[in-house]
Amino acid sequence: MKNISLKLTFILLASLLINIVYGQEHVIVRGRIADKETGAPLQGASIIIKENERSGGAVSGATGGFMLRGHVGQTLQVTMLGYLNKQVSLKADEHDIVVFLDRDVRQLSEVVVTGALGVKRSSRELGTSAQSVSTEDLNLGKAVNPLLGLSSKVAGLRINATDLTTGKTDPGIQIRLRGTRSLNRSKNNPIYVVDGVPLPDITRINPNDIADITVLKGANAAALYGSEGVNGAVMITTKAGRSGGGEINFSNSTTFSNIYLLPPAQTSFGQGQNGLYSAVTAESWGDRYDGTERDFGLPINGVQPKRIYAAPSKDNRLKFFDTGVTAQNDLSFSGGDSKSAYFLSLQDVRIKGVIPGDKSSRTGVRFNGSRGFNKLTTSFNVNYVLFKNNTTSDGPWLSVYTQPANIDYKAARDWQDPNSPNHPLNWYTPVSSTRNPLFMADNNRNTSDQHILNSKLEFAYQFTDWLSVTNRTGYYLQHEDGRVTNRKLVSEVSTRNINGSVNDFGRTFNRINNDLVLNANKNFGDFSTKLLVGQNLRMDDIKDVNIEAKNLLFDDIFNQGSRTGELTGGTKITEFRSLSTYGELTVGYNNYLFLTLIGRNDKVSTLDPERNSYFSPGVSSSFVFTDAIAALKNSTILSYGRVYASFNRTGNVTLDPYRLNLTYSQAPGFPYGGLVGFIPSTKEPNRLLKPEFVTSYEGGLQLGFFNNRLNADIAYAYSDSDGQIFDAGMSSATGFKSTYVNAGRMVNNTFELTLNGTAIKTADMDLQLGLNFTYTNTQAKDLYAGELFNIFRQAYAIKDLPYPTLRMTDFLRENGKIVLDKNGDVLPSEDEVNLGTMVPPYLFGFNTSFRYKSFTLGLQLDARLGSWMYSEVIPRMYTAGTHPETVKYNREAFIMPNSMVRLDDGSIVDNKDVYSKGDKAWWDKYGKIQTTTAAKADYLKLREVYIGFNLPERLLARQNLVKRASVGVVGNNLFVIRHSSNTLGDPEALYNQTDGYTSFRQIPTSRSIGFNINMTF
Amino acid sequence: MKNTIFKISFAALLALTTVSCNDFLDVNVDPNSPVKENLNLDAKLPAALVTSANYEATTLNQIGGFWGGYWGTSNEGVTAFASLKNYNGLAIRDSRDGIPVWESTYANLFYYKEILDQANAEGAGYYAGIAKIMMAYHYFILVDFYNNVPFDDALKGSSMLHPRYDSGKDVYEKSIELINVGIEDIKAGALSPTKDDVLFAGNKSKWVQFGNTLKLRALLRQSAVTEQDAYIKQELRKIEQEGSGFISQDAAINPGYVNSTGKMDPFFETYYRNNAGVAVANHTNIRPTKFLIETYSLHNDPRLKQSYVAVNDDFKGVIFGHNTIEDQYAAGVTSAFKGPQENAGKPAGFLKSFNQSTMLISAAESYFLQAEGAARGWISGSLNDYYTKGVQASFDYYFNQNGYDIGAYILQDAVDINKADNKVERIITQKWLALAGINNIVAWHDFRRTGYPKFPNSAQATGNDVYPLRFMYPESEINNNNENVLKQGDNNILSSRVWWNVR
Repeated sequence: MKNISLKLTFILLASLLINIVYGQEHVIVRGRIADKETGAPLQGASIIIKENERSGGAVSGATGGFMLRGHVGQTLQVTMLGYLNKQVSLKADEHDIVVFLDRDVRQLSEVVVTGALGVKRSSRELGTSAQSVSTEDLNLGKAVNPLLGLSSKVAGLRINATDLTTGKTDPGIQIRLRGTRSLNRSKNNPIYVVDGVPLPDITRINPNDIADITVLKGANAAALYGSEGVNGAVMITTKAGRSGGGEINFSNSTTFSNIYLLPPAQTSFGQGQNGLYSAVTAESWGDRYDGTERDFGLPINGVQPKRIYAAPSKDNRLKFFDTGVTAQNDLSFSGGDSKSAYFLSLQDVRIKGVIPGDKSSRTGVRFNGSRGFNKLTTSFNVNYVLFKNNTTSDGPWLSVYTQPANIDYKAARDWQDPNSPNHPLNWYTPVSSTRNPLFMADNNRNTSDQHILNSKLEFAYQFTDWLSVTNRTGYYLQHEDGRVTNRKLVSEVSTRNINGSVNDFGRTFNRINNDLVLNANKNFGDFSTKLLVGQNLRMDDIKDVNIEAKNLLFDDIFNQGSRTGELTGGTKITEFRSLSTYGELTVGYNNYLFLTLIGRNDKVSTLDPERNSYFSPGVSSSFVFTDAIAALKNSTILSYGRVYASFNRTGNVTLDPYRLNLTYSQAPGFPYGGLVGFIPSTKEPNRLLKPEFVTSYEGGLQLGFFNNRLNADIAYAYSDSDGQIFDAGMSSATGFKSTYVNAGRMVNNTFELTLNGTAIKTADMDLQLGLNFTYTNTQAKDLYAGELFNIFRQAYAIKDLPYPTLRMTDFLRENGKIVLDKNGDVLPSEDEVNLGTMVPPYLFGFNTSFRYKSFTLGLQLDARLGSWMYSEVIPRMYTAGTHPETVKYNREAFIMPNSMVRLDDGSIVDNKDVYSKGDKAWWDKYGKIQTTTAAKADYLKLREVYIGFNLPERLLARQNLVKRASVGVVGNNLFVIRHSSNTLGDPEALYNQTDGYTSFRQIPTSRSIGFNINMTF
Repeated sequence: MKNTIFKISFAALLALTTVSCNDFLDVNVDPNSPVKENLNLDAKLPAALVTSANYEATTLNQIGGFWGGYWGTSNEGVTAFASLKNYNGLAIRDSRDGIPVWESTYANLFYYKEILDQANAEGAGYYAGIAKIMMAYHYFILVDFYNNVPFDDALKGSSMLHPRYDSGKDVYEKSIELINVGIEDIKAGALSPTKDDVLFAGNKSKWVQFGNTLKLRALLRQSAVTEQDAYIKQELRKIEQEGSGFISQDAAINPGYVNSTGKMDPFFETYYRNNAGVAVANHTNIRPTKFLIETYSLHNDPRLKQSYVAVNDDFKGVIFGHNTIEDQYAAGVTSAFKGPQENAGKPAGFLKSFNQSTMLISAAESYFLQAEGAARGWISGSLNDYYTKGVQASFDYYFNQNGYDIGAYILQDAVDINKADNKVERIITQKWLALAGINNIVAWHDFRRTGYPKFPNSAQATGNDVYPLRFMYPESEINNNNENVLKQGDNNILSSRVWWNVR
């Protein structure tokens, strides 16, 4: 210690001396390192004086800033991972310089990825897989939800669109990385990290603010996040400021979307029952359409409305929908100087939904700023988004697919006139579930304003060139203010009545996340070491409030004060806390062999204090053999080769707060004055729950051929999640509907292949091709008490079968033939049958980008094979008589071909003379045989296409205002090829966090086309 | 140097990690809901009882209404209640759109099981007895719908994850034993419930009578099973020895209904009008059957006009399961349920007011049970006396007064029990008339047991003799306890019978 102090003193004195001696020629250079393309500051670049390497160099901080002493005439040499080296000579008057670095795009060996905690890492040292998607690729299809832009672009990643019930005004997704690990359907999402801060939701982030997305595949790559990273991580880096001169960017994209892939409906038989026309019924069990004029509904003021009894040639249901419009406007500014940088963006997205009246808007502003003060660097990011949504419920579309083919939904839009047959009091049928859907859409509104404030404050202090500490605080606030209203309608026919109601609700989600991280990087001879030690603290607080009046007095005052009866509503408070410590040590040898050890201890509030602390260890290694083996070094074929492998055992707690005790709540109706009445929860609590553990291995091979014109990435991953915490469904006879258990094992085997190639590369022309393939086999093992476990409706976990398996009631069959009862009715199979997996095991993504001079073309194709799906719409269409099968036998009694009959004595014989009635009651039972609702879900989809034109520079050269400009056409989901058995809908479209399931609430999928303009000033 | 910095940093980290770490994480006590230990028995009993009554009044009345010959639908309701109309067992067992008698009943049973456990722990025998009797009440419902159901293995949470099924007969006998023990518990029990007993306000003898009545009902339901004769006699002797007899007043629940959505009498709110006095869809959709109106008319029964709205001075019914729109079946030209709004603001037959009590077992049913017991020679006393009291109690209920004059009515040839060749048929028919719109479900059970009264089946049935015999085991049970479901064999709605249905 004493020695060190002495040495320090000596060095200080010596440097003072040098200053005195060389005072005249000496300069202190303050500067910044930035990306030439984006202007973003580059942290971690190393800067040395070429002529005097031993004098020591500097490392750029978070804003890219550095400070160095040198002499006029000497040369600064800047080196940085992923960039080409750059040299700058020092001049006497230059004390403030900005050095722009060119990206070294071709160098596979120098690819940099955003690792856990936002630490930039050279991909060569990673023992785990990660894949980055650039802002250009992400925004190819101009998706409003940033994650939707990742669809089919990353091997191992499956993304499904889920926004299906609200007129598509709030695009949602389901995301799965390398299979499904938890039987708890809502706990399979990766962690989302924006600029180093974990966020609960990133749906509202402006995709144009994103500089890049790195997908850390699986628990191994995201090991520093412990439990939260067990399903991998999506690391988002937003754009930072630009050094040296400001830049303004404006872009607009406007797309138009239309509904398609509706489940087909029959157009031969119209409204009525038992083959007889009825002017007042909504079911299609009437007689055949014949083009005659018929009574339609009941007389209005004594006048009987008439209508031609015929189905239009075009699907009448399409008239119910509007063309959706999505308009995005983006404006961003960026700038900076040697010490500070800023990025400011504004975005406005307006969506007009496909259901009339549905709309949303998203208005966001982001400010990212940073400034350096000598060794301290501070940065502050803030993002505020106001999302307004105004939709109707699922009721309207639900009624459309059950109403007859002759209903004119265009005319139905004009319902306000009290004398119109489309007025809700005059609508042809009085049945409450089949009102005029356009009236319903107007009458039931669900509005909500969501305010999202997402901010980050970061301090980084560089003690020395090898040691730094960073404290990063994230504050996330999401407040939703919503209201659901139903306008009152009173009729003499009570089925037409609607109770006026208003429900105001609010939800506030607060998250404070703090990471304190110590970083040490030091080289010892041939060895390099990187040590990271950190601590994480998390506080989530949620409050839900609602106040509802179920019976309003007036049809135009939506206030709880004008009600009859009592108010209902309540509040719910949820708190979650966790505290974690973590560390990672990477040792490298000669920059081609690396070993990483990792560990994290989590402590969470949701488990019993006896069992709430757990440790997750990991180890990984990477070996760049093309650098290590002399014989491979100058190969003309193989330009880069690396193998890596890793092992992790990650603890995880998927339990929500307050699940350790049996709680009670008041039964419906209670309290009655002073009389209280409490009933227990239907979920059985479990105090003894402990963390579940996911063991995962992976191995991979990265190859670059022909000077990296062809790159291949091959990975195999295995994960085994054991002792899962989930809400296991139980027989109601146990007294509960479900219980929380530590049970069940799920095993995932994933194989991934990514190929990227440059087919043509000339000054005028450029053709890039990319293919990714994923095979995932998720299997259920050792289930909770038995071989078979129900997950959600027809989705099951079955031991040693792919998860989830579609299992449902089939027809009673004998040698494959359908068996009828003696009255010709269908019979259900005694037990359910397994059809197959409900998630596609085979995923293919294909992309190409082609440039010829100023023209660019981008394509993204997506194919998913090998799974099953089913639709809840189908039984309802059978009941309503709109399903095409119901007209197969002309609505007459028929002998079912290839069927058998079960006689009274139980014997089963070929059916020669037993007629099936073929009426509503018969088809209704037929539709309840669940296999009639299933189909194979294979598909190939043209997901995104972009055709663009960059305005040539010579056109822009005549003025100073616009630096760059481009225009383009963008299309999404333009065509789909489905398996021939599938008339149910779009297999990719899911209902929330389900698999292979189409809810009857879901509106059909849509395709869109539009244009895009981009200008840089 | 290096060491120093590390040491300082680690110390800082460690300090942050350990300081009040446990307090920081100690946020897992639910601030929103009480746990079971926070609640006294009197905070639990009312909820369990009201849930039982709600189910009887709404779901069971709906099933019984259609399958007991009372109800059909108007043109407006032609597409409603499809699964009941076409005896679609698969649709009824469906988790999402079906009729969850199984799930609801076991949930309700569990409320009583929680009360029973707490009562046993606290030595509150009275509450334990009430819980046992009500559990028996619910087990009878389960057997009547599903035949074999879990009893011994039931209500044990995940410790008995796949409850084995007991035979319907065993469940009946075990439930009767629950009542026997429950009666003893109540008699011996201290800590009497007061206003939290929304059925009898802590009246011990009424609870004992209720237990006896429930037993008598369960014994009569097995009247067709000849092997049960000895058992029935033995249990009847126990009732006799016990000595409190049967209920003579309605066993009806009233927690103090309020004129507000979800807080009204559930029958009134579900089948009549909401708290703003606006009719609900059921009031347009549901109509009495022609058979019900004809049966009332045949007996010159004044309860008809007290309970249904006349159309042009006449009463018009519908055909259950009729699947064609016809002018004669429009809601406007058929007889709707009569409530206070159609009765000059006065209480009508079974729709009296938003705060009418919800019936579990009526006095009329109690008397008709005794009458049938007497007719079968099972219990002592005068058949005529029991029968007359049954009719009297029913009229008193429908006409909202005590001692309504039934003199002329009861002397009619078609009504007088002494003039009946088939006494049981006449008793069951009168019981059927007395329970219309009150406890409809009894009619379906009685029909399966005795075939009386012979109301027509659904117009959508595939044959004349096709009547629903049971519910299939629900999808939730197939999903979670399939092994035991498969052991029960055929559970088809039209071919499998519950154990007491041997007619």
